[in-house]
Amino acid sequence: MTRGRAALLIAAFPLLTGGLAQAQAPRSSAEGVALLRKIYQATGKLSYTGTFVYQQGDRSETSRITRVAVDDVEKLEVLDGMPREIVRTRDTIRCYLPESQTVKVDRRTDTGAFPAVLPERISDLAKNYVITRAEPARVGGYDCDTVVLTPADDLRYGYKLWADVGTGMLLKARTFNRKGETVEQFTFTQLTIGNVPRDRVKSRHAARSWRVEDAAVAPANLAQSGWTVSRELPGFRKVMEVTRRLGESRPVGQMVYSDGLAAVSVFIEPMAGRAEAVRPGPSSLGAFHIYTREVANHIVTVVGEAPAASVQRIADTVEFRKPQ
Amino acid sequence: MKEQISALMDGELERAQSAAPLEALRDAGEAREAWRTYHLIGDAMRETRMVSGSFTARVAAALAAEPTVMAPVAVIPEPRPAAAARQWPALSIAASVAAFALVVGAVFVSQKDAVQAPQVANAPKPPVELIRETAQVAPPDTAHDYVLAHQGSSPRNSLQGMVPYVRLVSDQSRPAKP
Repeated sequence: MTRGRAALLIAAFPLLTGGLAQAQAPRSSAEGVALLRKIYQATGKLSYTGTFVYQQGDRSETSRITRVAVDDVEKLEVLDGMPREIVRTRDTIRCYLPESQTVKVDRRTDTGAFPAVLPERISDLAKNYVITRAEPARVGGYDCDTVVLTPADDLRYGYKLWADVGTGMLLKARTFNRKGETVEQFTFTQLTIGNVPRDRVKSRHAARSWRVEDAAVAPANLAQSGWTVSRELPGFRKVMEVTRRLGESRPVGQMVYSDGLAAVSVFIEPMAGRAEAVRPGPSSLGAFHIYTREVANHIVTVVGEAPAASVQRIADTVEFRKPQ
Repeated sequence: MKEQISALMDGELERAQSAAPLEALRDAGEAREAWRTYHLIGDAMRETRMVSGSFTARVAAALAAEPTVMAPVAVIPEPRPAAAARQWPALSIAASVAAFALVVGAVFVSQKDAVQAPQVANAPKPPVELIRETAQVAPPDTAHDYVLAHQGSSPRNSLQGMVPYVRLVSDQSRPAKP
């Protein structure tokens, strides 16, 4: 096609401007924001016990979850496949793996994650997502209101949330990509909201002689060691920077970037002494996209609940400058 | 004359042939308009800094909706020693319409609405993330460790409590019992 032909098309389609020029950008609605706020508050203050199904790809798993609000303790028990159980208290998360007799211990960090204050968190979300109400529906025996978070760009996924009209408890959550396809979905099939006996959130495992893998999380300043992410993804801010241990004893640095709902972690570890081969490039594990790179004799692994391109973009901007 | 302007821009005219179009460009008129428009089109094809976020998706959708057998007939000029790299690849109809929309959109999209979008490569090759995912490698052997470490700081936990933790364990297949 020559320029002449292109110019002819230009002349023939003057109305194309209509769709692009000054198109009213969709805006969050007050009702949408109010419902989202109600959901966050419910998650923080309710006790409940129920069964939910997690679907991702062609995988489907059923789990039981119980929360005691007054102690802020929660237990998740996966009922399909390999038995595992996770108990979260105010400060720690313990993952029990009975088949390998291992407990993985980690520090609970989301309570310190930004922005801790709900109104700030929601106004940050409104910058990256358009928050609107959708039609009510019935889920797990509850009448639910729904709210949709439509991403403002292609760097993140969208979400639809179903919440009990009465309490705001989240009954169902769906993550979707730019084509509208479901990336993952959580659905309660049975739920009882209200006080729960404390023993229901205790691990069933005594785990006294089990191997303990403690993540030994400590705040860190990786820039001091020469590491930076030279260009942050629009809408994502650094919210955490620590050193920790992976697996049994591998020390790594971790930076977490978040837009308020999605998060991407950048892990940096030295290449020396690594037994396994490094496979640079994009990969995925379940709903997570992963990107691996070698930089300055280190391995950079970026993991995120975001489209593959976003994970890769962050990975590509990790830089090392030897500190003076 | 417009064809000559076009060829002049591509460096495809011999010196003798350039005289006429160059002369025409001296005066403000049709020739200069063509020159301006063609440059705008070229720029738009190469650079899309002011494109809205959904634009690339719409381009992709338009390209995907093309009738089959749209293997673009590449208009590759005969190799000339002097030819600049200013290739003018064959454009499918959708892409050229999109190019026009790009030009106009660039004029109207206000700066504050602009989202930094990745570069749109010369059509018809779409940007990497739009249609075909780049070939994936196998995840790291210790992918579960990374995912577990990541899950702890996910803001989804504030929205859904511990429910999202099922994700990190859902991929662990049961080790074969001896």
